Amino acid sequence: MANANTNNTEAEHVSIDSEAAHVISAVEECHDDDDVGALHDVVQGLPSHAVKDLLSVGVCTRCILRLFGIRGNIYSISAISPSILNSVIGEQRHGEDISSNSKESEFEEVLCALCLGILQFTYCDDKEIPVKKESANDMAVAISELVKREGYQIDSFSLEVSVPPIILENEHSVRLYMKRKYGTEPWFQGGPFSQSISAKDALKFSLAKPLETLLDCKSGISNFRIGLTFSHKASKVVQSVAVSKQGCKRIKTGNSIDSLDDSVAGDIKCSDLADATVERSFDGLQDNESSECFKFPLQKVNDACHLVLLCQRTPIYFGGRYLKYSRNVSQTRWIIDDERMGEASVEEIIGSNIQPLCQGDNYKFHAAGREDIDVRMLGSGRPFLVEVQNAHRIPSEAFVREIETNINNLENKLVGVKNLKVVGIEGWTMMREGEAEKQKQYAALVWISRPLEDVDLDSISSLKDMQILQGTPIRVLHRRSPLQREKIIHWMKIERIGGSSQYFLLHLCTQAGTYIKEFVHGDLGRTHPSIGSILGCRAEILQLDVTDVKMDCFLTE
Amino acid sequence: MKDHSVDHTINLEHEQEQEQDSLHRILVPDVRDLPLTPPSAIESNFVSYFAPDFTKPGHDQYVYRHANGLCVIGLARTHVAFKDTSGITAVDFNVGKSDRSGIKVTGKRKKNAQHFESNSALCKVNTDDASYIVRCCVKGSLLEVNDRLIKQPGLLNSLIEKDTLLLSCQNQQIGSKSRGRYWALKSIRN
Repeated sequence: MANANTNNTEAEHVSIDSEAAHVISAVEECHDDDDVGALHDVVQGLPSHAVKDLLSVGVCTRCILRLFGIRGNIYSISAISPSILNSVIGEQRHGEDISSNSKESEFEEVLCALCLGILQFTYCDDKEIPVKKESANDMAVAISELVKREGYQIDSFSLEVSVPPIILENEHSVRLYMKRKYGTEPWFQGGPFSQSISAKDALKFSLAKPLETLLDCKSGISNFRIGLTFSHKASKVVQSVAVSKQGCKRIKTGNSIDSLDDSVAGDIKCSDLADATVERSFDGLQDNESSECFKFPLQKVNDACHLVLLCQRTPIYFGGRYLKYSRNVSQTRWIIDDERMGEASVEEIIGSNIQPLCQGDNYKFHAAGREDIDVRMLGSGRPFLVEVQNAHRIPSEAFVREIETNINNLENKLVGVKNLKVVGIEGWTMMREGEAEKQKQYAALVWISRPLEDVDLDSISSLKDMQILQGTPIRVLHRRSPLQREKIIHWMKIERIGGSSQYFLLHLCTQAGTYIKEFVHGDLGRTHPSIGSILGCRAEILQLDVTDVKMDCFLTE
Repeated sequence: MKDHSVDHTINLEHEQEQEQDSLHRILVPDVRDLPLTPPSAIESNFVSYFAPDFTKPGHDQYVYRHANGLCVIGLARTHVAFKDTSGITAVDFNVGKSDRSGIKVTGKRKKNAQHFESNSALCKVNTDDASYIVRCCVKGSLLEVNDRLIKQPGLLNSLIEKDTLLLSCQNQQIGSKSRGRYWALKSIRN
């Protein structure tokens, strides 16, 4: 065993980019011998005639391994090549020393007919330049350089791969062919072929470990996604595969691989969903029926796939409560006919202080309810969420506190923020939960057309959980359905204002969704009862403030 | 040994009290800033139009138009119907081809809203002696009528604004081309 290792690795060691050399050797130093040994063992366990068959058909080494259901980090070993396979198989056959014929050129010039070069790390980049990486590690280096160039600060990553559908088609053809040819052999009965690894997973196996080393963090479930999308020009497109009583039907469109007709529609991409659909279709096919549908041997591939590398962070959320001190600030950006309504918006003040510090692409503002532009939001504040898309950096706790201080110290003091912090997706459900049931508390400045009497204070205070009926207010009737809404006024309290007999402060607590202004002036009788109808006079509202939004989320801990 | 939890609770309560006080200070207005009589909700939110002698002498009506294009149409105080000593005794929305009070308008797009011209009849108001037809005054789609007037026609007599509205109507064209004989675009104070 020990003899076989050294010769092979030295002979097969391919020339590498000097830039990446030190990195690669660092990776390989520790694992070199173990890895090659493991590879050796694995390959020895494969049926050699089947492997040779596949090699002769134009299937690359990694595809062979994955067809046989091999898993794990073995895919990232740079020593993988047809020569290794050949030499191991050569040993099996002759039981002698390695035949010198096996020391061939290691460069796999021909693109794998099965994976179109994807597992040979051969592709066209976004500038249409063909690229061939010598090893999984080289490709990982290219990816990690992109991550660093774009300035992402990460503590984990998840790899997502998407491949053209034709690969699944090819796989099916290969499997059928193997089943027909070797179906009766004992090793086939064990069912290794049914446990084939998909090309996507094989690529992930290849890249995961080198990337973990280069990016210095773990791969797995993460909010940072590295997406590799492979597409192939003018390959066959499987429109739909239907299984009927008669057998399989397939509608084929597009050109075959050989004729590169420029007039045909360009790249055909595939998403995970499409893959699943194609796979399901294939599963249902009858074996004997599909001999007409699938070509074997596989067509030669002349062009590599086009690869798009995309790094993306899933949205991050900032939760907190906001206060609005101004009567000229809307909650969200409000523009009519190119003119802004109000001086500013809560959304923009808060969002513009958060997004740049995360180096995000953009932000979205969500709040638990809203108030009019001329209504102040006071007291404990209103819960809100700022969703930042594709943040390149995630601020630390201390940094988030700094953002809060910055907003609260703005010169114009229009808006304030409390309890700002990064929250997970649960912040969303917290906000939406029970939004309709939550109570809100207000203070309204009310004028009535006659002097206030002591008995009025009592008649108002005595009303508990009073039900009112509100027709959709005229001021919003142009954009809302005309409905009668039943709302509850939980309690009310009149506070006299010194120096005035007809003005007073009305404190009240109501069900979410109650129109307070209409409750005071009655909206031409369309809200009843109203303050005016209860007190038997005309009532007008001059100012309104929200003093409490009774919700449990984003409170001071 | 000090009981820190008690101290902490006291501090928290004190803090909350302070917050309440400062909140209260913001809420209470300076009386000197308050007008003696504030503008009414109608004055603040609508532009009032007065249509005297609409189609007939003495048939004075008003239209309040909101910034969002909706109009409220009603009988002006000077309408000849109010001159009858009995006041208004009945309101009937069943005029023309349909009963206006029966139309149900639904949804944001206001499905089923009937389209009216400015001289379409909206309803009839009856006194002991006579009957007067009330017309739309503006071109638009009828959204709702004040059906409380069917059971309580006396509300109109009270002349309290909130009770005299007859109906609201969505209108896009008020103020354009309507400077006809029956139309005076004049803003009034009630």
